[in-house]
Amino acid sequence: MAGYIVRRTLGMGLLLFLLSLTVFFLFSLMPADPARLTCGKACSPAVIEANRHHLELDIPPIEQYQRFVGGIFFGRTFSQDSPRPIECEAPCLGYSFLRNQEVLTMIARAAPVTFWLAIGGFATWMVVGLTFGIVAALKRGRWQDRTVMGIALVGYSLPSFFIGLVLYFFVILFLHLLPNPQWKSGMPFKELGGFFQTMLLPWITIATLNAAFYMRLTRNQVLEVFGEDYIRTARAKGLRERTVVIKHALRAGLTPIVTAAGLDLAYLLGGAIITENIFNLPGLGSLAIGSVLASDLPLISGITLVAASLIIFANLVVDLLYAVVDPRVRVG
Amino acid sequence: MLRSDRWLRRALAIGVSFGLVVAACGGTNPTASPTAGPTAGPGDTPAPTEEPKTGGTIYMLTQAEEFDDIDPQRAYTGEDLAFFGSTIMRSLTSFIFSTDAAVANTLQGDLATDTGTANATADEWSFTLRDGLTWEDGSELTCEDVKYGVSRTFANDVIVNGPTYAVQYLDIPSNPVTDEADANSVFLSGYYGPYNGTGQDLFDEAVSCDGNTITFKLNQPVADFNYTVTLGFSPVPDPAGHPDLEDAGEQYTLRPWSNGPYKIDEYTQGNGGHLILVRNDAWNAESDPIRKAYPDVWQVDFGIDPKVMDQRIIASEGDDAFAIQYGSIQPENLETVFSDPETPNADFATRATSDFDPFARYYWIDTQKIPNVKHRQAMAVALDRDAIRANLGGEYAGALGDGVIKPNLGDQYAETGMWTDLFGQAVPDTGDPDFAKQLIADSGEPMPALTWDYPQTPVRDQEAAILVASFALAGITVTANPIPPGQYYGIVFDDEAAHEFGWAGWGPDWPNASTIIGPLFTDKGGWNISRVQDQDFVDAVQEALAELDHDTQAKMWQDLNKLAMERVYVIPTTFGLSQTFGGTKVQPLYQWAPYGSWPYAEMYVTP
Repeated sequence: MAGYIVRRTLGMGLLLFLLSLTVFFLFSLMPADPARLTCGKACSPAVIEANRHHLELDIPPIEQYQRFVGGIFFGRTFSQDSPRPIECEAPCLGYSFLRNQEVLTMIARAAPVTFWLAIGGFATWMVVGLTFGIVAALKRGRWQDRTVMGIALVGYSLPSFFIGLVLYFFVILFLHLLPNPQWKSGMPFKELGGFFQTMLLPWITIATLNAAFYMRLTRNQVLEVFGEDYIRTARAKGLRERTVVIKHALRAGLTPIVTAAGLDLAYLLGGAIITENIFNLPGLGSLAIGSVLASDLPLISGITLVAASLIIFANLVVDLLYAVVDPRVRVG
Repeated sequence: MLRSDRWLRRALAIGVSFGLVVAACGGTNPTASPTAGPTAGPGDTPAPTEEPKTGGTIYMLTQAEEFDDIDPQRAYTGEDLAFFGSTIMRSLTSFIFSTDAAVANTLQGDLATDTGTANATADEWSFTLRDGLTWEDGSELTCEDVKYGVSRTFANDVIVNGPTYAVQYLDIPSNPVTDEADANSVFLSGYYGPYNGTGQDLFDEAVSCDGNTITFKLNQPVADFNYTVTLGFSPVPDPAGHPDLEDAGEQYTLRPWSNGPYKIDEYTQGNGGHLILVRNDAWNAESDPIRKAYPDVWQVDFGIDPKVMDQRIIASEGDDAFAIQYGSIQPENLETVFSDPETPNADFATRATSDFDPFARYYWIDTQKIPNVKHRQAMAVALDRDAIRANLGGEYAGALGDGVIKPNLGDQYAETGMWTDLFGQAVPDTGDPDFAKQLIADSGEPMPALTWDYPQTPVRDQEAAILVASFALAGITVTANPIPPGQYYGIVFDDEAAHEFGWAGWGPDWPNASTIIGPLFTDKGGWNISRVQDQDFVDAVQEALAELDHDTQAKMWQDLNKLAMERVYVIPTTFGLSQTFGGTKVQPLYQWAPYGSWPYAEMYVTP
């Protein structure tokens, strides 16, 4: 097991290295010229050149990458020959010259918003998805099953931007059931009531699509397990149906669902672009879309790296959990 | 298999949604030239309905995620200049608040007691500061602070963008270091700014303080220099006189010191972020006859979805009754708010405006890649301008343009005749393919295949289709080249990456065509996307800049506008209109002419 963990961890490190390399050079190759973008209106070739030097774009790409990676581990100094150099302490993911801030500072400010959005949305869709999925499986072919699957089909068909806007217009603007969402720093530890008022609709928006998927997935998994020999054996032994369902069927059927959920949660932690934008939440998704629209390359690179790292880390955790559950994986 | 399908679907869904969001956001004006400009509305300006009241909070809702810049030497967006100029950032001169555009475009003293005094040749200007000017810590605002602020414009190693009129006009030699290998080649002037200090004596000779009077020596006559000082000439506390302040250089933009009636309490950039201005208790109202400072607080909410923003202001419930829009009404809501492009519906009579925005929209043509003027004329003649405007929203989008100077610039504007007789015959709004073919035949050369660069949005995708189709009728082959909005200007300013022609927009920096003709068609000013290199034109621009008689100068700009259209440096499309509105409990709501903005300095909330 220890060997397996070491192998997987080393693999993750290699993947992160390749990821950083890809992210850096991919965005460096973009046709946008950051020196021109930070130049503003009163631009001239001389100013563009000045900016290029200021942004350290006048050095070879390999050296730029070395400084980028070095900054992550040891910190770095931007505009070194300027009378006002900018110190960026490790782990330094870069500096946004469009927003005049360190990339990590911006990500750190956005991360809690996305974290709470993801956790709340995740809890909502798991509870709803599992509950209704199990009910549908237990009542297979009956009206409860058809109703749940009908709801799942509708939920799965609606795009999140549509759900979000509909909820916003009806619940907030027309029915006035909730105030305009307004995230404040310190939430949820400060203004718990305001926190729930702000997050309720985003959670529902995020959960709708995912809950629909998990309803179908749960139903299918449970039904599949019901067809296994050991369930028939359990019933043949004379166990109560409740025990058969809860102790034998669900336990086995839910294992792959939990694994999938872990990856979905990690994916969501990378930012929910649509939902965050509709409800004006300053999370990683909003930060990402803003950085893309402004061609803020350091910020794009930083967010991509963080989001991808989350996915890779979640994959590692899932793989390790699988190894615990299924010993065959360790030698595979 | 199930998971694979799902991940694929999710990737597609996110990709499509992402594209939609990008495109939607790009639908706002992506130009990198959002500047100030005079406006005079085609619609009647609603009169304030209440007596001004002190107190309350005015909310500004915006899709933007931050202000471009709040640093006095870097702020360049017209709306930003209007807002911060009205609240925290005073300048030597500013414009009058009035619903009458002609009055509003008139200059008045702000930090200065009057609009400045020029010598006979207009190459030396003096301004005397008012008594009782203060910073937010209560310390005195001095002439040295104005001088220090201006000096920061020269620090090209720290202040990397913003207007550079100080560098352009002050009588300081250019940087002797031209070798790009030398780090000092980044400086635009022989003075390297206050952080580096090199050439300080040169700056001190060009800008001097005598008591409360600051004097600028210029390298050429600048007849409207007292307008120039509204842009990038605002003071910053001189560290020598304010030891408590550490000039944060580049990061000063995040928390500039205030000398106006408000100061920054909180500034969080990004979606869901805010800028909150609270009262500056150190502000001396007696030193400021311009700003009324009615509300206690200004709160700017960033990253509001434009569809949500419109609905919030239409509903005008709760705090939204005190909200104003920092942007434009979405096209689908125009019929709700307006009965026609000039008249708001009854429910919005006192809270919606439809006025010229600062911009003239046009297609630039690279005159180096299309050097034959007959070819350029054929392009202009072939274009179906009426269909282009209809695609933008019809009459709500604006009037058809005939140059780069808009009619709301007053005496600077005259009809160019571009569509009546400038090319020898009238050109219909829908284009004239036969006339275009004739011009191509007259050129003596075959028309080259063209590529049209544009910042991609759904609306401009349709515009591209209209353009390609109308040019095809004249036998001109055009390929549309969509570019992500954030990368657009970076690409079209690159000689290698840019194609033959493309989309653009421009607004003047102050109510004088000196900030239109020069920047667009000469290398001074940095917006010469058409790559015009005609020396006779450059000479004529210099002559106009030096002309001290206002009426004569205005006529010269009119003539140059006409000449530029005759040579078709650009193809004008529309003189844009902008529709915007506010909540039911904030007044007065009209577009202030100098910047096409709300009249922030005299706004108040009603009970």
